Amino acid sequence: MVQVLESLESRLRNWTQPVVRWARRKSPWILHFNSGGCNGCDIEILDTLTPRYDVERLGILKEACPRHADVLVVTGPVTRQTRDRLRRIYEQMAEPKWVVAVGSCSCSGGIFAGGHNVVGGVGEVLPVDLYIPGCPCRPEAIIDGIAKLLGKI
Amino acid sequence: MVILFRLLVFPGFLFLFFSAMLFDWVDRRVIARFQERVGPPWYQPFADFVKLLAKEDVLSTGAHATAASLLPVAALVAVLTAALYVPVGGIAVASFEGDLILVLFLLSVPAISYFLVGWISVGVYSVIGGNRSLLQYFSYEVPFLMALAAPAALSGTWSIARIVAYQGQTSWGLLMQPLGFILAMIGLVGKLKRDPLDIPKAKSEVIAGPLTEFSGRKLALWHLAMEMQTVVGIFLLVNLFVGDSRFFGWLPQLPVFGLKALALLVLLSMAAVLYARLRIDQLADLGWKILAPLALLQFVATLWIIGL
Ligand code: SF4
Repeated sequence: MVQVLESLESRLRNWTQPVVRWARRKSPWILHFNSGGCNGCDIEILDTLTPRYDVERLGILKEACPRHADVLVVTGPVTRQTRDRLRRIYEQMAEPKWVVAVGSCSCSGGIFAGGHNVVGGVGEVLPVDLYIPGCPCRPEAIIDGIAKLLGKI
Repeated sequence: MVILFRLLVFPGFLFLFFSAMLFDWVDRRVIARFQERVGPPWYQPFADFVKLLAKEDVLSTGAHATAASLLPVAALVAVLTAALYVPVGGIAVASFEGDLILVLFLLSVPAISYFLVGWISVGVYSVIGGNRSLLQYFSYEVPFLMALAAPAALSGTWSIARIVAYQGQTSWGLLMQPLGFILAMIGLVGKLKRDPLDIPKAKSEVIAGPLTEFSGRKLALWHLAMEMQTVVGIFLLVNLFVGDSRFFGWLPQLPVFGLKALALLVLLSMAAVLYARLRIDQLADLGWKILAPLALLQFVATLWIIGL
């Protein structure tokens, strides 16, 4: 009886998997976190969210709360002060979740690398799925990166 | 068989589910067009719903697990039950003399569960959002109820179907009680916590209000309950204020009803784009100093007209 139920469940899961994957690809809700950048990249991200670029076409919504978000967008180098907070925000997000590092700083530390208070890029702290370099990167680059990430899901 | 079909397919669960998705999409699309954007594609609400269903369900420490899973279900069930008594194009699953009162009562259950879910989920933002939602409830509910009681008083019945029939003999409630219609629309915006009155879930102030701590299935259910509440609320107003379709006599009932509902939805979306969010004290002022006296005035005028 249990075996029958289990096989039924796995079969159901196989059926629903494509639908679920499609849904995830079509509705990434993002959470934006500045871990210590100069604000340049943050402004580019806000640009990306303006009506001119209209990312709601791709189903992207900006959420204010880690629990609702699927994609954590980090800008700036990780400083020693924000390291634990970044980690905690990541842990508060519900699975499945992705991390995108936007800007040279969050990719490698950028011009801040080697500073006494800087840990380095986001990759030092979290598993990053996508790096978008640029200082600051253009909204087009961010949209292109997000589209590539969606293709990966 | 017929009753089962009505309960599950039309105008019951499936119909409501798909109209909720459609209304959500139309709403977002209209708002996008007003902002000179393209807006999400038609399948967006489905994708959001499925994605949330398949997401991990996190519960914060200290939150009451049973209540957290029961409250969204309670809200959803109340909305669905209310929907049974609201006729769609003249077809309702059930009706009796006085179903308007029952529907109004059931439609305030989600507000209570919304407050409670903020209370039990211990987060700071949730509790503040919950308190705000209760304050908002006390501000909009009185004018809303009075505005909806006026058509009932005018037609001398508490049954929605009979109010529609009465409008068939006279004319639209919208024309007889324009003030009541405006009050009811404002009350509906407050009830649905839509944009100018989204005080309990204001993103820049309280993150997501009572739902801040929820993810996954529970969030999906909450969103569904809210969207279905939008549908049921709009259907209710269509019945009470523009219920008569004699004007479009040669057209079938159902598409006309759908068009009217969509027209009201576009009105709501326009309000969402045009007006900035009120503060909670401004809403309390608006509710008690302006809307409630106006609603009272309208009600007394209605009683006076009946007396003539
Ligand atoms: S990458 Fe450039 S623009 Fe972005 S945070 Fe670093 S220094 Fe600022």
